[in-house]
Amino acid sequence: MLLQIDFKSGKPVYLQLVDQIRYAAASGGLRTGEPLPSIRPLAEELRVNRNTVAKAYTELESQGVIETIPGKGCFLKESNSPFTKSARAKILTKEIDEAVVAAHHLQVDRNTFLALVKERLDSFERKVKEKSDND
Amino acid sequence: MNTDSSIIEIQNLSRRYGKLDAVDGLSLNVRAGKCYGFFGRNGAGKTTTIKCLLNLLRPDSGSVRVFGLDPRTDEVAVKSRIAYVPDVVAFYPWMTVRETLEYFASFRKNWNGDIEADLLKRFQLDPKQKASHLSKGQRTQLALLGAICPEPELLVLDEPTSGLDPIVRREFIETVIGAYQSGDPGRRTVFVSTHLISEFEGLIDEFTIIENGRNLLTMEADAARDRFRKIRARFSEMPKLDLSGALNVKQNGREMEILADGNSEQLLEKLKSHSPEELKCEALSLEEIFVASDILKKAKA
Repeated sequence: MLLQIDFKSGKPVYLQLVDQIRYAAASGGLRTGEPLPSIRPLAEELRVNRNTVAKAYTELESQGVIETIPGKGCFLKESNSPFTKSARAKILTKEIDEAVVAAHHLQVDRNTFLALVKERLDSFERKVKEKSDND
Repeated sequence: MNTDSSIIEIQNLSRRYGKLDAVDGLSLNVRAGKCYGFFGRNGAGKTTTIKCLLNLLRPDSGSVRVFGLDPRTDEVAVKSRIAYVPDVVAFYPWMTVRETLEYFASFRKNWNGDIEADLLKRFQLDPKQKASHLSKGQRTQLALLGAICPEPELLVLDEPTSGLDPIVRREFIETVIGAYQSGDPGRRTVFVSTHLISEFEGLIDEFTIIENGRNLLTMEADAARDRFRKIRARFSEMPKLDLSGALNVKQNGREMEILADGNSEQLLEKLKSHSPEELKCEALSLEEIFVASDILKKAKA
C-alpha cells in the first residue's frame, strides 16, 4: 500500500489518508491482520505533520477499519464495521445518492449507471483475487 | 496534552527602525502542539517578530507572551523552553562538532543523548570535525541537532532551509517531523518562517501571511485549500458571463482562469450552464495562496 498526498485536491490531508487506506482495504492492497505503517516513519516519508497521520489513524479506528494493539501497532480489522446491518445500509445510501446525483448531472442513464456499478464491483473483486493469487 | 493553550500570543505588536514600521500592529496566536507557518516577503517583518519573541529586540508597543510569560521579564524561563534555528548559523570556529554540542548542552537542563547519536549518524557528521570546516548544509544540521536534543516545547525556525541543497532540505523537514515532533506530540510546537512554502506544506497546521508588518491572512491550512480554488474553463465560443463573485478572472481567447473564494460551487454551476469544452477545478496550494496575496487583500475585506 503506497500512500500519496495531493494538496491540490482541497480535501483535508488526514481525510486523504483515511480514504486511501479504506480503498486499499477494499481492493486488497491491505489485508486483514496486516500491519499499517507506524505513524512516525509514514509522517516522515510523506513529509506531513505527525499529528495528521495520528488523526487519520484515530478516525480509521473509530470507523472500525483498523485496530491498535498496544506495543505492536495498527492492523486492518477482520470485520471492519462496528455498525448494525441497517445502519450500514443507511450510511451507504447516502453515498449512493451522491453518485446518483452526479450521474444525473453527467447525463448518465439508469442502465449505464447500473452497468458501471456492476463493473466496479467486479473490478474490486478481481483486484482482491489477483492479490491473493500472487502469494 | 492541552492543545488549546496558547504557546505564543502576540497582540498589536509594533517595532520601528527609525521611521520604518517593520512590524505594525501584528497579532497572532499559536496553540500548543501545532506547526505554525509564518509567511511573508523579504522585509515583511518576520525576523523582527521572531526577535521580539526571543527578547533579542524590544517591542515599541503591544504585547508578546510565550508560554504565557513575557520574554523581557522572564527571559530565562522562556528561553529554557525554546530552541531557535536562524537562517545564518555561526559557531566558534575552533570547536569541533563534539565540543560545540557539549557547549550547547552546558546551557540546558535536559539533553537527549539518544537523539544526538541518532542524528549525528543520520547527518553523517563527524564529531571530530572542526566547526569552521563544515559546509553550509552541515552547519544547519548541527544547529538543528543543537535545537532538538534539549527537547524544547517550542522550536522557532527562521528561514531554516534557504540556500541548502534539496536532500539536506528534505532531511531537515523529516527530522523536524520525526526526531522533534514525535517525541511528545502534544508538547511540541513549531513556529516556522519560510519562503520554501511548498516543502513545509504538509507540516503546516495553521499559517499567517504578514505584509508590511501587518497580518494579511491567518487560516488553517486545510480550510485555506478548501476555500481558495482555481477554476479553468474553455469554451467553443466565449459566452457572456457574470462572474462578479470571483476574486479574480483572467481571460485568454476562449480560455479563462477564475479564482474562487469559498464560492467555487456556484461559479462552477454558472460555467457549466454554458457547456464548456473543458472545466477543471483545483485547490490553491499554500504557496499559490501566498503568491496571490495581492488579490487576497480583497478577500479579507
